[in-house]
Amino acid sequence: MHTVAKLVDTSTCIGCKACEVACQEWNDQDFTISGFDGSYQTLPDLEHNFWNLIKFNELSREDGQMTWNMAKYQCMHCVDPGCLRSCPAPGAIFQQKDGIVDFNHDLCIGCGYCITGCPFDVPRLSPNSKKVYKCSLCSDRTAVGLEPACIKACPTNCLTFGTREDLIQIANARAGELKQDGHAGAGIYNPEGVGGTHVLYVLKDAADPESYGLPKAPKIPWTVSLWQGPVKWLGNLVFTGGILGAFFHYLRYGPKPTGDEEGIDA
Amino acid sequence: MRARPVHRFSFAERAIHWLAALSFLYAALSGLALWSHHLYWLATVLGGGVATRWGHPWGGTVFAFLVGAMFLIWARQMRLDSDDRTWLRNAKKYAVHDEAGLPEAGRFNGGQKMLFWGQVVLTLLLLASGVILWFPEWMPRNFRLAAILIHPIVAAGSIGMIILHIYMGTAAVPGSFRAMIRGWVTPGWATSHHPKWYREISKN
Ligand code: HEM
Ligand code: SF4
Repeated sequence: MHTVAKLVDTSTCIGCKACEVACQEWNDQDFTISGFDGSYQTLPDLEHNFWNLIKFNELSREDGQMTWNMAKYQCMHCVDPGCLRSCPAPGAIFQQKDGIVDFNHDLCIGCGYCITGCPFDVPRLSPNSKKVYKCSLCSDRTAVGLEPACIKACPTNCLTFGTREDLIQIANARAGELKQDGHAGAGIYNPEGVGGTHVLYVLKDAADPESYGLPKAPKIPWTVSLWQGPVKWLGNLVFTGGILGAFFHYLRYGPKPTGDEEGIDA
Repeated sequence: MRARPVHRFSFAERAIHWLAALSFLYAALSGLALWSHHLYWLATVLGGGVATRWGHPWGGTVFAFLVGAMFLIWARQMRLDSDDRTWLRNAKKYAVHDEAGLPEAGRFNGGQKMLFWGQVVLTLLLLASGVILWFPEWMPRNFRLAAILIHPIVAAGSIGMIILHIYMGTAAVPGSFRAMIRGWVTPGWATSHHPKWYREISKN
C-alpha cells in the first residue's frame, strides 16, 4: 500500500500564512493570540489550538542583509512515532496504513507522555479539555479523497500532497534544480532517526536544518526507548518473580515456626 | 491455659499502616494500568482512563504523606544497630528458618528496618518524579525525560518490596497479620521473633 505525505518546498514559501488560516478554519479552532515577540511569526510556538506554524527563522546573509528561512512546522507523521510508543491508552494514538499518525480524543487520558516522547516537540495539552492535540494531516479530508487544507490553500505550490514515494522523487528532483541554480547544499529533509517522516522538506541548505527550525538528527529520546523496552521487561520480571518466589518459598520452607503451635508435634 | 496477649501495635500505628496500604494499593494498581496496554483493564475497573490519570497522583500523594507519618512514629525505632547488621549479613539463614546463629531481633528485625528505609527513599523518588509527570506542561523537557524513566523503575522496585512484605506479613510469619489488625501477638510469637523486644517490654 502506498503511504501519503506532504512535501514542503521551503524555497518557494513566501510566508503568506494561507496554510495557517486554512488549518484554523478547517479544524474550527478557537484562535487566541498567546504572545507576540516582535517577529513576523504568528505565534512563538505551536499551541493546542494552533497546529500549523510558519516559522520565520531570521538569518543574516553574507552581504549583511537579513533573510528568512521560512519553514512550515507541524506534526511530522513519523514512520516510527515517539508519541505512539509512549502512549499508555490503547487507541488514543494510532498510525493508519497510509502513514498518518492521528489521535482519538475520546480515548486520550491527558497524561502528556506523548509530549515527552515526541522528538519534534509537537503535541500540546489543552488546558480546557485536558487532552492532547496536533496536526492530523487532515485525516478527515484525506479519507474522502481531499487534500489537506493547508495544501489546498497554498498559492505558490510550495506544498504538495501525494504518495510518499512520488514526493521523495519530486523532492529530489527539486533539490537537483536548486543545486543547478547555485544552491550547492540543497537537499531533502526526511530524518532517518525516526524511520523517515510523512512530512518531507526541500531545504536550500540541507546540512543545516536547524536554520529552518528543524532538529538536526531527531530520534526517539533514549530514556523513552529504555522506559518502553528493557524497563518494562525488568519490571515484569520483578512482579512475576516476586509472586512466584514467595509462592515457591512457602512450598519449600513453609511458614516460620511461631513458638506456640497448638496440637502439632513437630 | 490461654496465654495472655502481648500488645504490639497501637491503634494509631495500625491506622496509619492500613491507610498507607490502601493508598499504596490504589497508586500501584492505577499506575500499573498505564504500565502496559495489557494491564489497561485496571483503568477500566478503577473508573476509566481519565479517572485513573486524575486519581493516581492524588493517591500517590496521600501515600507519600502516610509514609511521612510512619517516618515520624517509627524512624527512631528503625535505626540499625550492630546486631541488625549481623542479622542482615545472615539474612539467608533467616529465609530458610535456620536461625540458630542469628542475633536476636528487637521490636523490628534488620529486614523490617531495611524495608522501612527502602520505602522511605523510594517514596521520595516517586513523589519527586511523580510531580513532574503530574504537570508536564510546567516542567522542562529534560525533567520530564528523566521522570518518565525514573518513576516506573522506582515503582517496580517499590511494588517488588511490597510483594515480599505482604508475603512476610501473612503466609510466611503466622501471627503477624493479626498483630497489625488487632494489635497483639502471643508470648510464643514474641519470644521466637522479637525476643529482645519482648524482654524489654516484660521488664516493666
Ligand atoms: C508519590 C506520589 C506519586 C505521584 C505524584 C505520582 C504521579 C504519577 C503520574 C502523574 C503518572 C502519570 C500517569 C497518571 O497520572 O496516572 C504516574 C505513573 C505511574 N505511577 Fe505514579 N505517582 C506517585 C506514586 C506512585 C506509587 C506509590 C506507585 C506504585 C508503587 C506509582 C506507580 C506508577 C506507575 C507504575 C506508573 C506508570 C508508569 C508507566 O507508564 O510506565 N506511583 N505517576
Ligand atoms: S496525552 Fe493522550 S495521546 Fe498523549 S500519551 Fe497520554 S493518553 Fe496518549
